[in-house]
Amino acid sequence: MTDDLIKRALRRRTVLGGAASLGLMGPMDAFGQAGGPWSQPPKSKVDRLNFVVWTYGDIYARISKQFEADWGVKIDSTISSFNDHPTKLATMYAAGEKIDVSQSSPFSFPNFVAQGLVEPLDDLPGAKDYANDFTPFTKQVAMVNGKLMGLPYFATAWVWNYYSDMLEKLKIDKPFTTYEEFIEHCVKAKKDGVSRYPVLWVAGVGLEQLPGTWYQMTWNRGGTFFDKQGNHMLGPGSVARETLKWWANTFEKGLDIADPESLKVQFTTSAKAFGAGKNLYRGPNHHYGLNVANDPAQSPIAGKVKVMGSPGNGKTIADAHVYFLCTANRNKEWAWKLLQYLGGKTKDGQYTQAIGLAKDAMLGSGYQSVMQSDVIKTGWAPWGDVPEILKIWDKSAYIAEVCSSIYQPWHFPWTDQLNIEVQKCLTGQISADVCCDNLIKGIADAKRKV
Amino acid sequence: MNLPTLAFLAAILAYPVIYAGYLSVHKVGLAQLRRGEFPFTGWENYGRVLEDPLFWVAIKNTLIFTAITVVSEVVIAVAIALLINQAGVWTSRVTRFLILLPYAIPPICNGLIWSFMYSFQFGFLNRLLFSAGVIDQPINWAGNPDTALYAVTVPYIWRTLPFAIILVHAALQGIPRELYEQAAIDGANAWHRFRQITLPMLQQIIAIILILRTAFAFAVFEEILAITQGGPGDATWVAAWYSYKISFSPPNNFGMGAASAFILALMIAAIALVYLRAVYRRVTL
Repeated sequence: MTDDLIKRALRRRTVLGGAASLGLMGPMDAFGQAGGPWSQPPKSKVDRLNFVVWTYGDIYARISKQFEADWGVKIDSTISSFNDHPTKLATMYAAGEKIDVSQSSPFSFPNFVAQGLVEPLDDLPGAKDYANDFTPFTKQVAMVNGKLMGLPYFATAWVWNYYSDMLEKLKIDKPFTTYEEFIEHCVKAKKDGVSRYPVLWVAGVGLEQLPGTWYQMTWNRGGTFFDKQGNHMLGPGSVARETLKWWANTFEKGLDIADPESLKVQFTTSAKAFGAGKNLYRGPNHHYGLNVANDPAQSPIAGKVKVMGSPGNGKTIADAHVYFLCTANRNKEWAWKLLQYLGGKTKDGQYTQAIGLAKDAMLGSGYQSVMQSDVIKTGWAPWGDVPEILKIWDKSAYIAEVCSSIYQPWHFPWTDQLNIEVQKCLTGQISADVCCDNLIKGIADAKRKV
Repeated sequence: MNLPTLAFLAAILAYPVIYAGYLSVHKVGLAQLRRGEFPFTGWENYGRVLEDPLFWVAIKNTLIFTAITVVSEVVIAVAIALLINQAGVWTSRVTRFLILLPYAIPPICNGLIWSFMYSFQFGFLNRLLFSAGVIDQPINWAGNPDTALYAVTVPYIWRTLPFAIILVHAALQGIPRELYEQAAIDGANAWHRFRQITLPMLQQIIAIILILRTAFAFAVFEEILAITQGGPGDATWVAAWYSYKISFSPPNNFGMGAASAFILALMIAAIALVYLRAVYRRVTL
């Protein structure tokens, strides 16, 4: 944390402390309340604690150091890549190892809860205050069957990016506002020789990459994948099916405006590829790709990648990833303390990790108080138009509103099939109709695999 | 003397296989593994695997992958071994080191290296072919369903080829020179010498290479993980990738994963038996 931020936090803390004593403020704020349960030492003793997480810069080294300095307890960390994390956690858990704290994507979380890896937090000191400060869609991830099961790691909304210089070169005033305009711009870019592949989709295999792109565009056009009763919405004429037809037509067998790399790239790799300046549009996907595409150290077109919302009413999707207290913990009191360092407040009453992630990595927070604070406004500013992103954020719904199967244990095997079928559709091996029909059949197959 | 050997083999080789067999007939998820209680399910896991169309796609891809890699390895290994075995061909230590180098590269690193090489817009391979005038548009080697499976065979062959070269080269050095000298006196040309002397003398080692390389190719995993992750679509889903995904992706159905791995092991065993009967015994009798 910078000195400037600490000074500002202290000033706010003084004001807030006074206000709280007058009963004028609620209990939550992004900055400093030193006297809460987060600052109380646990009664029991432990020599060490551990967490099992996926890699992100040096955030875990920093927070471990702070925990050790504050409480004198050493932290062991097991850090793997994002894709390998569920496997690492599963094997450690299955092997009977101690795991105090871990983390999860919103997709794995219902499974981890169902399989007994996750300890409820409701009765722990200060837990309810955290829950009261959650953003609406963080609640949808972290609250399972009415119980608080996790604290937020980060939150993100799906946005579009465009390369402003290329748009200018095409003599187009503003980015697309309808899907028809999107096609027009891309076709023009290709025809004029400005870009061979004007759009880079995030369509690599994953839980939110390729599926997320389809979910987002379906939601934006007014559709979902399942209705409230859990019935699929993939039949003939459905929004999801029509969206897929439209999407597939942008690939080689159709308009041939989609970059073939689309089928391989994940979030960060797509931002890096977009930074090469060969595409006009990238999206729709996680907002924080801007901190790669607009980073001069990583992108030759830094500063020229702009953010924009989706067509029509701008509806988009969002999600939040969480940290959780593992049932395989060695000491619940201390594990809760460590969990708060990762997903809640540190001893000084600050959301240290959430603030750091916003400033360093442009990640959103699952806490309303952080999202509404200056940390976001100033922290994100070097990489993108913050008011525009927050405007998009306000139009976002949790991803499960579009695809409610993420709460089901069969969602994973079904997503495996979804990745396969949709990639076959995008590469012209099968039609969108066949793809959707296969996915409808696949629901029953996936249920059998569970 | 045999008893310790048997006990050692049982502990190292038999136990994991038997344990996998045990898991395959039980319900095994994370919670069951943690508790150590596995409800018996009989053949249910096998039934689920066998009726899963994706499993059969994975088996088909595995067979194609195995056929291409094993045949290529044998042919290329014999060719290279013959070349470096020529009295007139001098190979420096550096050359010999370079021939062996791929075998020392960890499979996952090999996969990552080739993943970069295959990159559509920024890959070295397309750049090389473009510069040489062979192509005028980049080729999506690993991202096109028509080429992806063939694309992953190349890094695999590149990595495992030295093993076959070493074996063939060692076998070549065991062939008496007199046989070639006598054949030359009798007027046999190079092709006849290869057909009538070299190839028959290499049959045993080729049979061994076929058995070992087939078994290993059936279990290919790392190159798939690093380069395509089974995609695009199901173009590169292979049997080991299938077992991995079933076991280690939520909902972590280890029982079904073990059943699929056990089926794969049985297939490898069956193919090894066919090799033994059809090739190895014939050449050793």
